[in-house]
Amino acid sequence: MPPKKSIGAEYLKGLWDENPVFRQLLGMCPTLAVTNAVINGIAMGLATAFVLILSSLVVSSIKKLIPNQVRIATFIVIIASFVTIADRFLAAFFPPISKALGPYVPLIVVNCIILGRQEAFSSKNSVGRSLIDAFGMSTGFILALLILSSIREILGSGTFLGFQVMGSWFKPWVIMVLPAGAFITLGVLLGIAILIESKTKTRST
Amino acid sequence: MSLSARMIVVLTVVGLISGSLLAVVGLLTKERIEMNRQQEIQTAINEVIPSTKTSHKIYEDETLTVYESLDENKNNVGFAVYTSGTGFQDIITLMYGVDPSVSKIKNLTILDQKETPGLGAKITDEKSFLRFWEGRNCEKPLSLRKPAVDSPEKLDPSEVNAITGATISSEKVLEIVNLSLQRLKQIKQGGKLSSEEKNAT
Amino acid sequence: MDILTVFVAAILVNNFVLYYFLGICPFLGVSKKIDSAFSMGMAVTFVMTLTAVASWMINHWILIPFGLDYLQIVSFILVIASLVQLVEMFIRKMSPPLYQALGIYLPLITTNCAIMGLALLAALKNYNFIKTVVFGVGSGLGFTLAIVLMAGIREQLDLADVPKPLKGAGIALIVAGIMALAFSGFSGMIK
Repeated sequence: MPPKKSIGAEYLKGLWDENPVFRQLLGMCPTLAVTNAVINGIAMGLATAFVLILSSLVVSSIKKLIPNQVRIATFIVIIASFVTIADRFLAAFFPPISKALGPYVPLIVVNCIILGRQEAFSSKNSVGRSLIDAFGMSTGFILALLILSSIREILGSGTFLGFQVMGSWFKPWVIMVLPAGAFITLGVLLGIAILIESKTKTRST
Repeated sequence: MSLSARMIVVLTVVGLISGSLLAVVGLLTKERIEMNRQQEIQTAINEVIPSTKTSHKIYEDETLTVYESLDENKNNVGFAVYTSGTGFQDIITLMYGVDPSVSKIKNLTILDQKETPGLGAKITDEKSFLRFWEGRNCEKPLSLRKPAVDSPEKLDPSEVNAITGATISSEKVLEIVNLSLQRLKQIKQGGKLSSEEKNAT
Repeated sequence: MDILTVFVAAILVNNFVLYYFLGICPFLGVSKKIDSAFSMGMAVTFVMTLTAVASWMINHWILIPFGLDYLQIVSFILVIASLVQLVEMFIRKMSPPLYQALGIYLPLITTNCAIMGLALLAALKNYNFIKTVVFGVGSGLGFTLAIVLMAGIREQLDLADVPKPLKGAGIALIVAGIMALAFSGFSGMIK
């Protein structure tokens, strides 16, 4: 087992070094699908964080009780339960957001980030550490959604969170809010992430 | 305990806990979700038939749902039709109002659409596409006016404005409306829209 | 909307990968060679068709009649997981060559959001049984089409001089964007 990280490092790794979207390429479907507006990106990020943090809490608390052979099935049931709660909550109290996100809220259940963290981290680490890890990964995921959705909303609609930010001279780039814009923006962002990573590496060595 | 017994016990317990938890959550949110749905319909009915005081569902089948709308004196002021169909990209769900004799459109509102932002999505725009629907004659199918004109007088009685650059989205909305109008007239002829007789007895 | 519309829409207009963004992981992961992309596509189509049938039955015979719609997510994901397991065992027994071809892709399918997405979308769109099945087959074929096209382009891309930071996932996503743009040309073609 690798040496234990400090608490801070355990949290911070989710932001950059192991950022689920930019570094691990996990959870791409919701990342692409709901980032046409910042509000949708934030809602999706928070819903995913809710499911990830609570699933990590439960899985790390009962990890000793779960037989190895049925661990995946158990994880899935736990995750699916929290997803249902998130889905119902949004439908009951934030109907417009629930409508905008559509099937992508229930689809959190197959977001590889969540199952991946249970398998790779929560089932092997203490409750405290798992929670910090889950918080870190959630922050990283929200950050990624926020960056992508800001770019797409500002360029694609000329607004940020619905408020006009570009002058009247600005003609919105409709392509940015279309599926094609999602793919291309994320592709370019991945390239930039790798560029930054390689630059910082060459400097530190 | 043997391994397989433990596996079964763990899975059953996890399943039971999550099942009962979800049952509670389902119960707690059910009413509210149902209320949201009804509220959405209610708001839409008031939008398409502004003189509505109360309304109730009067007919429903696979293709459309019809609500009868009544004013404060319980007089029928029209029918609100809730229907959906394929648009340019995905399904468009809309509601429109007609007068009691199904001869004039009252208003149209788009409830759900995923048309191209900036182009087809203008079907939700009050200032262009939705502007001159009120009072259109719908005894025969509605048709599209291209290019769009700036006053209702310049339109034929059964014409509505098209969206510049998104003719297909405009056509699709018109198709959905025309199809459901045809269906509505059949239903009316079948006598299924007359609650008066029911009320009389 | 008739059956043909559902079928064509699922393949071209509302393509699972390029319009709904479902199944991106295998789309990026298994699209380096045309052969493996095609096998993956076939495996997904097969499981999707079965999922369409199974999820419809669960939804209409159990969840809706008994008012258990809050168990939809849990039951769909469990059905998909067990279905994939069953298919794997069945293929291994019945057709070893097929297992060789599809076997390694099957476990990946459980967490493929395209399958879960299919079950949820079919329920959301309120399709009847036949339409659900057609939707399943069409969506699977649409996925296959997208992933095979992608693999064809990536085989060529290996020879191209791609800027270093964009190599791999970056350029794959940009290509997907251009494909999505091309596919949006199919919009509006269905009546």
